[in-house]
Amino acid sequence: MQFVCGTSGIKDFRFTNGCDKAGKLKKFLLFTISITISSFTIADIGAGKTQYEKSNCQACHDTRGPAWEESVDDQLSKKGPELWYAGSKFNRSWLETWLVSPSPIRPMQYNSILEKNTGDHVALDAASAEAIADYLMSLTSDAVAGGKIKPKARAKGKLIFKKKMSCNGCHLYQDRNEVIGGLSGPSLVAAGARLNPDWIYAYLTNPKVFKPIGRMPGLKGVMRTRDIKEVSSYISSF
Amino acid sequence: MKNTITLLIPLMLMAVAANTSATQPSEVYNYYCAQCHGSDGKGNGPNVTKDFATDPRDFSKVEDMQKLSDDDIRNVILNGGASVSKSSLMPAWSGTLSDEEVDGLVGVLRCISQSKAKL
Repeated sequence: MQFVCGTSGIKDFRFTNGCDKAGKLKKFLLFTISITISSFTIADIGAGKTQYEKSNCQACHDTRGPAWEESVDDQLSKKGPELWYAGSKFNRSWLETWLVSPSPIRPMQYNSILEKNTGDHVALDAASAEAIADYLMSLTSDAVAGGKIKPKARAKGKLIFKKKMSCNGCHLYQDRNEVIGGLSGPSLVAAGARLNPDWIYAYLTNPKVFKPIGRMPGLKGVMRTRDIKEVSSYISSF
Repeated sequence: MKNTITLLIPLMLMAVAANTSATQPSEVYNYYCAQCHGSDGKGNGPNVTKDFATDPRDFSKVEDMQKLSDDDIRNVILNGGASVSKSSLMPAWSGTLSDEEVDGLVGVLRCISQSKAKL
């Protein structure tokens, strides 16, 4: 039995009983740590879900995926945006901050093109916001592939956004020091702080996965994949 | 004969159910088109702010709508304004709307404008 590895070379380092023991100890410690972290994570998500329900978020937001809407009536029956893919859509830090100090993202009320958004979303205390963010960030969609899109404010992205696709027709955005654009879609001012760039790309490519009935036109088959990536990068840079 | 009727009744009920669950053309219009063209079709939806670079078509103008065939309207809805050298602010809805929904919208626009298709 030996616990010092250096004396018998690399082969011994791997296979002597002593090193084997040290390796087992290391594996045991790593296993214990990972189980502990997982337990905390699961506990956090569970506590977050409890807080979500206690705060009555489910009265307006659906966390059951996948998307179930089949008709305009189905979509109009919803009181607020679905959150079953919130963990793929939002940036965690933004979400937590917004839950404490919510400000309107949509100029118009959800599902309405007639009524202005009065900004009456419930504000949470910091502890509740943190717990609910834990829960919401655990809700992800397989349709969002990670690491594909990086924020880039390139001229080509800007051209697609403003001229080729006229995204500003329905979305507010900041052009130099001025906020301009249409009002029916969610504002894209500071979208980079709010949204995961890979979700933007996934949504633009196949919105029906997330929102089968939505006012945003599908771009698949309308725009080239590389252009969708380019405009996703551009929006992520806001 | 009795068996045939027994078979037909559920099929007829299914057909009625399918028909009633389909979204009405006016609902399709209000949901997708009214955001720019307005609920009354006059081109005054909430997106038409001072920053909107063009005037969305006013569907109530009979003389303008009569210059368009039903296929002209279908084509613009499916392929967008840019496909006919008009503004890209009118997006292509081919990835969103079904052929049936587009046909329904043509009927709605004809109804708003009280116009007939160009022959």
